[in-house]
Amino acid sequence: MVVQLQLVPVKTMRKLVSRIATFIAIAAACGSCVSIPEDGQKPILATHVDDWRDEVIYQALVDRFANGDINNDFRVKPGKLARYQGGDWKGMLDHLDYLEALGITTVWISPIVKNVETDADVDAYHGYWAQDLTEVNPHFGDLAQLRSLVKAAHARNMKVVLDVVVNHMGQVFFYDMNLNGTADIYLGGTGGTSPVLRSTEFDPDWDSRGVQASTSLGIAGRAPIVFINDPSINRVPPRPFIMGRGEAYHGFGRVLNYEEDAQRLLGDFPGGLKDVATEVPEVRATLVDVYAKWVEEVDFDGLRLDTVKHVEHDFWKVFGKGIRERLAAQGKKKFLLFGEAFDGRDELLSTYTAPGELDSVFYFSQHYMAVRDVFEYAFDKTQQKGTQQIADLWNKRATLYGTSPQENGIGVAPQKALVNFLDNHDVARFLFESKGDTAALRNALTFIFTEEGIPCVYYGTEQDFTGGNDPGNREILWDKHFATSGYTFSHLANLAKLRKAYVALRRGNTSVRWSSHHTNDETDAGIFAFERTGGDAATSYALIVMNTNARKTSETRADGTTMAVTAPPGTTLVNVLDPQRPTFAVGADGTLYVSLPAQTSAVLVPSGQVVQ
Amino acid sequence: MRLLFVLGFSALCATANAEEPPKVDPPSPVPPKAYAKEARPEIRLADPNEPTGKGRFEFGSYGRVSVASDLRGGTGRSTNIVSHGPRIDEESYTEFELRREDEWSSGFHTRVVTSLALFAPFFHFSGSLDQRVGVRNLYAQASAKNWSLWAGSRMYRGDDIYLLNWWPLDNQNTMGAGGSYRIDHGQSDTTIALHAGMQRLDNAFQAQQIQSPIPFGITSMAVTVLDRPRTIETFKFTHVMRGSDARPVLGNANGGLKFIGYVEAHQLPAGSFRDTTLQQDKPLPSDWGFLVGGQVTFYTGKRDTYASLFVRHARGVAAYDPLAVPSTFAFDRTTQGTAETQVALATNIELGPITLPMAAYLRWFRDASPTETSLYKYDEGAIVARPHVFFSDHWGIAIEGSYQLRRHAFLDTKSGGPLTSSILKGGIIPFFSPAGRGTFKRPQFRLIYNVTSRNEGARSLYPQDDAFASRAVEHFLGAGAEWWFNFSSYP
Repeated sequence: MVVQLQLVPVKTMRKLVSRIATFIAIAAACGSCVSIPEDGQKPILATHVDDWRDEVIYQALVDRFANGDINNDFRVKPGKLARYQGGDWKGMLDHLDYLEALGITTVWISPIVKNVETDADVDAYHGYWAQDLTEVNPHFGDLAQLRSLVKAAHARNMKVVLDVVVNHMGQVFFYDMNLNGTADIYLGGTGGTSPVLRSTEFDPDWDSRGVQASTSLGIAGRAPIVFINDPSINRVPPRPFIMGRGEAYHGFGRVLNYEEDAQRLLGDFPGGLKDVATEVPEVRATLVDVYAKWVEEVDFDGLRLDTVKHVEHDFWKVFGKGIRERLAAQGKKKFLLFGEAFDGRDELLSTYTAPGELDSVFYFSQHYMAVRDVFEYAFDKTQQKGTQQIADLWNKRATLYGTSPQENGIGVAPQKALVNFLDNHDVARFLFESKGDTAALRNALTFIFTEEGIPCVYYGTEQDFTGGNDPGNREILWDKHFATSGYTFSHLANLAKLRKAYVALRRGNTSVRWSSHHTNDETDAGIFAFERTGGDAATSYALIVMNTNARKTSETRADGTTMAVTAPPGTTLVNVLDPQRPTFAVGADGTLYVSLPAQTSAVLVPSGQVVQ
Repeated sequence: MRLLFVLGFSALCATANAEEPPKVDPPSPVPPKAYAKEARPEIRLADPNEPTGKGRFEFGSYGRVSVASDLRGGTGRSTNIVSHGPRIDEESYTEFELRREDEWSSGFHTRVVTSLALFAPFFHFSGSLDQRVGVRNLYAQASAKNWSLWAGSRMYRGDDIYLLNWWPLDNQNTMGAGGSYRIDHGQSDTTIALHAGMQRLDNAFQAQQIQSPIPFGITSMAVTVLDRPRTIETFKFTHVMRGSDARPVLGNANGGLKFIGYVEAHQLPAGSFRDTTLQQDKPLPSDWGFLVGGQVTFYTGKRDTYASLFVRHARGVAAYDPLAVPSTFAFDRTTQGTAETQVALATNIELGPITLPMAAYLRWFRDASPTETSLYKYDEGAIVARPHVFFSDHWGIAIEGSYQLRRHAFLDTKSGGPLTSSILKGGIIPFFSPAGRGTFKRPQFRLIYNVTSRNEGARSLYPQDDAFASRAVEHFLGAGAEWWFNFSSYP
């Protein structure tokens, strides 16, 4: 057979290919092609804060705030508060109006990094079970959506604070205590006279030698750390790389005694959350790098640091210095580092505001001694404490907490920038503890919005949520349809407006004018009054008078003595908290008599300083 | 819930499947008879010498069976990342058709068609006796001079693009019925075809059975609580102009032009999915969608030379292939807001010992998710050419080159731009064609070697433990055969 080669005309081929290529090029250049929206792209870092005392922080548990995209609702079990509910960053973005109406200026969002999905039928919706510190948790959206949220917040002059955990990772490994290579949960005991003990290789008890392996012949040395590989729940070796190595962890087992420093600093957090060896230089460097990168990637304005009392002080010095210097070099200044030390002792809390460490901490001692003892317990005179306890507390603040701003920090001394809160995701809500006493709640809100420091509101407070302990206190906000008409919502919004309007409420120094041990029928039972003036507020003046007593009208007078104030005699003070704007005159002797119904407050400013 | 959300590449695959033919290989094409002179499918009548009322059985088949190595000691596998990628490294698949043809004394002609599909792997590869089998056709058709009716379960398709193994316009897989009417204008004819069908895929988007206590006694039985069949109606208008010596078409006396207008409407009723753990019902609202499309084909009538242009636009649930499941939704759990636009070109030129099939398509897909960034908002396209050179009437070599790209509206954290994955392939296929020269002559026996270059974006689509997540180059060296004969998949 003779093969006859008839080539395709080259000209035709070229023309055809040329036309197809042109077509593809036109299509590729079209405006309808996919792209990453501008606000989803890497931001240019900037300082968005003037003075952190001007801010009102709102703690948002992302999973519970708003669901903006059902397509990331993996593993959601509606209504089951220990499981994912579907909230995400898109939902938050969609409801910034709501936060703005509430007067919020800073949003603190729950951790963003990828977590171990679930453990013992409880999900990582809260974000505190980190597995990969370098990736976002897909339950909440993608990086572009997170950037969009932060950029939209900045466009409203709102700041965003990121919640981070350096103390521990999620339950990413087990201790192979019986050296059999598998994770065991078992009961011990012979069935005879020996005690029956429950033991788990996921979360063994503290052992000062390090968790020990043992066989029938006895102790066999340190139990090997075995990283788990169960991709179905993302329980896989942690990242970045160093976090997937055994030397990045202490391996002493679960804290049993929080009063013992070694356990507190080296022990695993309850729930099998593995304690990170934050003293290892490579680990420290990694943690600084990882969280500085998140700020660089998203333009956060601060970090809320979890479980700081479980990490050695040296770490916070290295971390604080590393983060601040790196961000400041890129134009991000006044970057807030504030920590959570779940502890009522000022003597401990204050140590984290030592030079080189944190800008601020949550004022946990106040949570117990003022919020709980004075405001929450107002319903029970046998439990309620007098307001003298607040005065005593504040006196310690002035002496214990840092008196100078941190280098490259927020520019405000820690003792003037403590984060004041009523409740949070780790404690029962105020209305749970106060048996639903909404008057007490509003009075307490007035307290944290007018005292020195930075007020912080836990999401749902504005909707009168009443949840008890975790997870009861982690309700679904969107069930309330983002209503803005409630009394507490309006009260909070009003307090935010007052705080914004009067610099004294934000930056003034504090001088307690009246406090009392009285909680019963005394004329001044429950009265607490303090002035805010001077300091960075200059001559701006405010006097806050509160009646914390739930049963009677009380007054700023007792045993023939009337409250003395520093406002000049004859000054007319206007209660700007009351829409009727009642007035009070400072007497010729410099005293001021104020009578307040049960569980009400007055914010008094000189008539000449009233902002209309 | 599982219908909605699984992240990572498994979900990506699921979604890729969601708007394209399902993961199981779709049946493969028969020769592009659409380009033959007689556009209407040829019906094989019974022998006219036989008494009426009698008929015969026919057997037909499509099949491709191949095995390949990745030259690293493993098996070769497909590297495609787009919905309709080049088929050079595709998996094995086959269909068998048993057909009964009857011509009745009344003048009517009937056929009963049964097609079984076998999906890889086959027994001699896996050693497993559990062969996956699908019933792809099970219907009866009656026809007269100008009309036909059919009812049953049917693959209902138009013209394909062979190189991409894709039916870009009509590609229905339903149980239903349809009919067509043909008007002969002499040198042209017009056919109108209607079809209505239903399918209810066995997944949590459309169907759910739960165990429920029986009313008397102590046990349970399965009860269907989610029953959301998708109903699909199609309308197709086809006009074919045939050339003649007196009136050639575009200079071709044997050539012709085919124009197709095509419309689909899809409806899904409301339903409720029950989370049996929580005993909670999740409402799934009613949904709908439509598709409009068109095709223009020119054929020369000389061998299998033709060129086709396809355009289609779909909205809502119609943007998802009927055998696929949407995996992302608008906030109200509908697919409203989903949009898909496709443009495709296909051609085959046969001149002497050389044939040149080529194809290209572009596709813009936007899911209904309320976020601007989504893995399921993307643009994609592919271009492929497979020139054949016949050294004799039966032996030759084909060379295939292709490029495919998908760009997601999903942030690539390394580049800061959209996640862009692309693949460049080059292959060589020495073949033996007992049936002679031609792109579509079958059977064809082949050796295949293909090399694929995969960019970082393409690798990022795979789970970290998959070799495809790390390897930039893939090889595919195999042997196989492809055949088709006496197959009636075309309407």
